[in-house]
Amino acid sequence: MAYNPIQHHIVKLPSWRRRLLLICILLGFAGLFARGIYLQSLHKEFLQQKGDARYSRTLALQAHRGKITDRNGELLAISSPVESVWASPPDVKITATQKVKLGQLLGIKSKEIDKKFANLQRGFVYIKRRVSPDLAAKVMSLGIPGVFLQREYKRFYPAGDVTAHVVGFTDINDKGQEGFELAQNALLSGKAGSRKVIKDRQGRIVEDLEDVKVPQDGHDLVLSIDRRIQYLTYRELARAVDLYKAKAGAAVVLDAKTGEVLAMVNLPTYNPNNPVNIQGKTRNRVITDVFEPGSTLKSIAVSAAMEFGDFKPDTPIQTAPGYMKIGPATIHDTHDYGVLTVAGVIQKSSNVGASKMVLSLKREELWSVFNQLGFGSRMDIGFPGQASGRLRPYKSWRPIEQATMSYGHGISVTLLQLARAYTVFANEGELMPISLLKIKDAPVGHQVFSAQVANDMKTMMEQVVLPGGTALKAQVAGYRVGGKTGTAHKLGPTGYEKDKYVGSFVGLAPASNPRLIMAVMIDEPTTGKYYGGTVAAPVFSAVMSDALRMLAVPQDAPNNNVVIPPDVEDVKEAI
Amino acid sequence: MLAPVMHSRERMNAASYDQMLLWVTLILLGLGLVMVYSASIAIAEADKAVGHQSTYYLIRQAIFIVVGVMAAFVTFQVPVAGWQKMAPYLFLLGLFLLVLVLIPGVGRNVNGSQRWLSLFVINLQPSELMKLFAAMYVADYAVRKAPQMDSIVKGFLPMVAVMVLVGFLLLREPDFGAFAVIAAISISILWLGGINVKIFVALLALLPVAIYVLIVSSPYRMQRVIGFMDPWADPYGKGYQLSHALIAFGRGEWFGVGLGASVEKLLYLPEAHTDFLLAVIAEELGFVGVLTVLGLFCWIVIRAFGIGKEAVANERYFAALLAQGLGVWMGVQGIINIGVNMGVLPTKGLTLPLLSFGGSGILANCIAMAVLLRIDFENRRLQKGLPA
Repeated sequence: MAYNPIQHHIVKLPSWRRRLLLICILLGFAGLFARGIYLQSLHKEFLQQKGDARYSRTLALQAHRGKITDRNGELLAISSPVESVWASPPDVKITATQKVKLGQLLGIKSKEIDKKFANLQRGFVYIKRRVSPDLAAKVMSLGIPGVFLQREYKRFYPAGDVTAHVVGFTDINDKGQEGFELAQNALLSGKAGSRKVIKDRQGRIVEDLEDVKVPQDGHDLVLSIDRRIQYLTYRELARAVDLYKAKAGAAVVLDAKTGEVLAMVNLPTYNPNNPVNIQGKTRNRVITDVFEPGSTLKSIAVSAAMEFGDFKPDTPIQTAPGYMKIGPATIHDTHDYGVLTVAGVIQKSSNVGASKMVLSLKREELWSVFNQLGFGSRMDIGFPGQASGRLRPYKSWRPIEQATMSYGHGISVTLLQLARAYTVFANEGELMPISLLKIKDAPVGHQVFSAQVANDMKTMMEQVVLPGGTALKAQVAGYRVGGKTGTAHKLGPTGYEKDKYVGSFVGLAPASNPRLIMAVMIDEPTTGKYYGGTVAAPVFSAVMSDALRMLAVPQDAPNNNVVIPPDVEDVKEAI
Repeated sequence: MLAPVMHSRERMNAASYDQMLLWVTLILLGLGLVMVYSASIAIAEADKAVGHQSTYYLIRQAIFIVVGVMAAFVTFQVPVAGWQKMAPYLFLLGLFLLVLVLIPGVGRNVNGSQRWLSLFVINLQPSELMKLFAAMYVADYAVRKAPQMDSIVKGFLPMVAVMVLVGFLLLREPDFGAFAVIAAISISILWLGGINVKIFVALLALLPVAIYVLIVSSPYRMQRVIGFMDPWADPYGKGYQLSHALIAFGRGEWFGVGLGASVEKLLYLPEAHTDFLLAVIAEELGFVGVLTVLGLFCWIVIRAFGIGKEAVANERYFAALLAQGLGVWMGVQGIINIGVNMGVLPTKGLTLPLLSFGGSGILANCIAMAVLLRIDFENRRLQKGLPA
């Protein structure tokens, strides 16, 4: 070997060089030591927070929203599970074919999918919410990393637009927006739970960071509504609104004895299962809209006169010459009826007669009756958007106003207030509280009129549907019924509007022992017919005839009791 | 040639080899095995290519360690003088392998780096062996050229030429990390071997320039440097790996989240079982684990320099330079790897010696430690008046 490696004698290895190099290396390790302490103790909060942002997720555990049923347990609103597809963009790995398939399954364009996945700062984006469990399973079978499902509940309303205004609907976050869904949202929705977890990069849960907060399911709600009567009411009201080309309509049916609302219908309505283009259709007019009730208030005003004054059903009242001057104003009847009994005033709906009776009362007496019946104040029914109506303090009443109030002008009420006021005629003068929820025990009423007055008025109201009355079309085969019509000009921004009317009817059945009270209002009929006896009374008749049979209410009249003379028009009531 | 077994009989007098160094080595190998398993379970289970087998990396690392220890045992039998004689030829073999790995079809390309040679069942990474061969070659060179160490033309430039060649080959793969380690070993040995201080200072001055040129010339290196400067600027892109490594440190705190409880290893942190094993150690065992690793590496470096000093005392200059070169190797590669994990150095493809998963790395590290132990073994024999 030519090569001789050993040359000891000339090699010098300075020891200071060795020490310097060793110190340099050890300094390197010392630096790392310091860096380690910095990262693992001083800087750890920042780093852990960054880590949490990457892989800790708070999962919402949705509470099951309570269902809403009618009084017989029929479903009006129920939640059923659906899946929402979401993604964690930083973890998504998707192939071109997967993207196409995903788009086809969910009906989304590839571009939109790209947009959703582009936001790498966010750990959570919805791809599509509320898809059926079947479809969700298909999406997951594509096996795209970073795409997940979230269980949610979708609300279904089996009765659809028939009960829309009572039940209401929820938004996409399961929050009540209208009706009972809104009013009782807290009760129905329960309490959502949550779970904070660490997930691995493929989305599997590794561990829980905190105790799981178990969701508390919402309570069920049993309404006083009877779905069958609700359907009937809806059908008949819709027919009337359609027939008279009305702008709107509203109807409410009460249990005469308990004050429970059995049906509450408004038109126009909407589909709560798919609440789009619902502008102006969500108003529950029965509760939220006030109107001048017109002559339907006459029965109440006349009862007040009988209660406080010296009037009996057969007391004669002079209504000639068919009009009456009070100061500068004049009150009209349609005809000169001459001398009418009190019963005749009700049957013919004489404004002059009713005004004369009421003017014999003190202002506070009439006011006190109206006030006790609940006009001008909200009811305790736990429902959103309730209007109070308008009852001015009696001290500001002028005589003309006291007179016009006898036939429902200068006072405004909701349809529900009006219907409730009529419970006094079904309960021997006691006013019943209203409930939209099913109640167990009969409520305690409030005596407004004496039993004598209430029963007399009930009997007089039976005359209204008989020949010579204003509401022949309210008659019901097999049952005696009573009621009162109302027709009024609508109140516009500049006073009464000439060509716009509200036709209404409030009645009770069977008259011998009332079970149901119904108030119907047809708003702005446009076919030229607008009297309450023409547009509203037939709705009452049709609903009562089916509902009473459905409830197996014993008949109190022979089957041939319906007497409608063929050529006779309804008596036109004074407006 | 004497086998260490024979000397176990002399244990009564004084240990014939550095038992502590051996234990430190074995502890690092054992810790590495446990942590490689912990860090790789999720990676292996998610990987179709390894058959979703959770013990895939554990089994292989165990085999590597067994093979490495066996190779170390054989290595220990070779006298240091033998290594000195073989040094130039081993270096040529290393160069040959580095050329071979670049030939398309012969070298295997993984993740854009052509670093592996397929040899039947195992993949050999020549750059790992080259670190050992370079240390031997430069140590031998420094001893041979000792009289010319002051001369630029005769002492310094030939070595520069050799290093440029090695650097050229390594950067073709590319394997910047291996080149950095080999350069550090070579410069350190030249420094210890008495190179002219002026030349050395000039070299140190040129180094930043060279590194800058290398970084700017390659887009992938540039990306890594940017990611290193501020990992939170683009934590889902360039800074992804580093930000996850740092989170692992932060989560570990002082005592760690517990063995096996790392979340970062659940596919968040790439290369958790190789280059970023220390991050998993930091997360699961906390600063205590990191401190242990730092301490053990410091021990190796300090012992290597101590062994070198004793060799100098015995006038065994090649052994002295080689021992210290091996110490620089372990120290520098450890510092770079840990520094990368902690975000103080830009990301390179460098493993943590003796710990990270990797056959060639474990084999080369085991052999290096055996050579170190052998040098010490011969030192002790000479001190007892026995022949080396």
